[in-house]
Amino acid sequence: MKNFFQRLKNHSKLAFFSFWFLVIFYIVSFLADILAPYHFDYQFRDKPYHPPTKIHFFDTQGNFHIRPFVYNTVVDDPVFRSYREDTSKIYPIKFFVDGPERKILFFFKTKKYLFGVDKPAGIFLFGTDTYGRDIFSRLLYGGRISLSISIAGVIISFTLGMITGGIAGYFGGIIDQILMRLVEILMVFPSFYLMLSLRAMFPLNLSSIQVYLLIVLILSLIGWAGLARIIRGMVLSIKEEDYVLAAKSLGLSHWRILIFHILPNTFSYTITALTISVPGYIIGEAALSLLGLGIQEPYPSWGNILSSTIGNLRVLGDAPWLLLAGFFIFVVLINFNLLGDALRNVLDPKNW
Amino acid sequence: MEYVLKIVNLAVSRRERTQLIPVLNDINFFVEKGELFCLVGESGSGKTTLALSIMRLLPKSFVVTSGEILLNGQNILNVNEQSIRSIRGKDISIIFQDPGAYLDPLFTVGVHLQEALHGTTEDKNQLITKTLKDVGLEPEIQLVYPHQISGGQQQRVMIAMALINNPSIIIADEPTTALDVLTTRQIINLLSKIREKYHPAIFFITHDLELAMSIGIRIGIMYKKHIVEIFRPDREKPLHPYSGILLGNIDKKYFNEKIPVSSQTDINDWCPFFEKCPEREQKCQKKIPFIWHDSLTGIRCIKHGRNHQM
Repeated sequence: MKNFFQRLKNHSKLAFFSFWFLVIFYIVSFLADILAPYHFDYQFRDKPYHPPTKIHFFDTQGNFHIRPFVYNTVVDDPVFRSYREDTSKIYPIKFFVDGPERKILFFFKTKKYLFGVDKPAGIFLFGTDTYGRDIFSRLLYGGRISLSISIAGVIISFTLGMITGGIAGYFGGIIDQILMRLVEILMVFPSFYLMLSLRAMFPLNLSSIQVYLLIVLILSLIGWAGLARIIRGMVLSIKEEDYVLAAKSLGLSHWRILIFHILPNTFSYTITALTISVPGYIIGEAALSLLGLGIQEPYPSWGNILSSTIGNLRVLGDAPWLLLAGFFIFVVLINFNLLGDALRNVLDPKNW
Repeated sequence: MEYVLKIVNLAVSRRERTQLIPVLNDINFFVEKGELFCLVGESGSGKTTLALSIMRLLPKSFVVTSGEILLNGQNILNVNEQSIRSIRGKDISIIFQDPGAYLDPLFTVGVHLQEALHGTTEDKNQLITKTLKDVGLEPEIQLVYPHQISGGQQQRVMIAMALINNPSIIIADEPTTALDVLTTRQIINLLSKIREKYHPAIFFITHDLELAMSIGIRIGIMYKKHIVEIFRPDREKPLHPYSGILLGNIDKKYFNEKIPVSSQTDINDWCPFFEKCPEREQKCQKKIPFIWHDSLTGIRCIKHGRNHQM
């Protein structure tokens, strides 16, 4: 494993950076409920479309404060929702402030938040949305959903693709014919419409966890077909390799040869393909949520945060921070692509 | 006399669309316990096909049309897939030509040896270390990937894999072709050392008759699907005209370009060497059986076979 990082670093500094960037992203979104200053559905009714809060070190008298602070804001113009800072009182940013009780890490109930400011001021690092919910907190919570959907989807389609492609390629004949025709049936549908129609087969009023699982299932059901075909092709060529003949001459069983000698030799390709396909899942979830078929409000995902901007042209001018979800999707995609490109070379033992 | 491997009337064909093209024909020979039997022949004569049919590893397009392959008295052509797996690697093992291609690039040498050892109850690590020592490798090589070692070392690893279950016969299919002269000699020495120590029979396939003459107890010469002669290099000289050509007494006629080098389909079932034989006669235009001189040697030639018998 240490070897892996070293090789990745030697191969490409950029990919090495991408790797750690993604690791940090995943850790941060996993710890969303610890790090977020507000719960994802906590609303500041009086502060819709609030721009990112300014963090100050100097007060109006020019005194320096070691502890950064914010001012409370009040609506200046209710039509254009512009805000004005009320400089009469400072609200220092504190650690472990009290707030409404919520669950963290799925089990523990607590009232403490990692950081925050006293009411009625709010700290909105990335501003607020239509309902006055903190975008930063929602992005963290949404990242948890968007990023975990992609990983879960990739794992399912990886497994399905490996099993189907491996069996079809190795055993060939009628099994191959049946499995590949099945895969082709899946592949002839344009994936986006297939996704929509699969989603349409299920009722809209599902609980959020059901929707989550459903999306994982739909996305992986679409993703595995292409992978299975590629793996089948690779298995077809690898099974003619001399080391497979040598493995047979040792008296190994078909399954052992397939699982232990042939499939691992496809990994340098498949892991790369998977890394590059992760963005597809994030986008798929975003697309479903954008159309209102994915994760439902008030639960956030990067897709439905973005969807709240649909049909709302003023957002582009007045509240561009709402588009940050798109930026996050973009950044994650870029990093996955960079990492995937480098992995192809790093995972090939011939380059070690 | 105890046979480890006995092949009776073996014929193998390759399926090409609807027709069957013979690849091996009328193969009759045996390998005695602990013997070093060399099989010599040019490219395309069917040496590797023979080796693979003994392992029952022929590609799907090949069919055994007749004959028996008796390994320790058991006809392995009749046993099911399950039992042949337990025979492969245990009773019979094979060393291939190009050691680099036959080692899985993803696994270390140690993993390869453990794969070879499947199903044993003995102390695996101890056995692996001992076998590596037998083939002249350090135990540390277990942690190394195949592409990180030299061709000679790779071939030693292959030999260790073949040897580790102490089989009664090891097939060596041109094990030195991919290696240089010095490494070849080391590998040959290693094989004979192993034969002295553990007494496996070795079925050594090569295209180098001189090499075969220097190591083999008996030598079989293959030409176009047939074994044309079996002789003992330290007792008698080979008699078949083709053996003479292999030994360097080259006749111009052999390189006559009008005669196709090795035609796939036979027009007739005459003596396989008839077209190029410097000593051919009218009476050779018929099917020639393999004529045994005695229990160990024989020839597929009317002229020399008769002479000897009379």
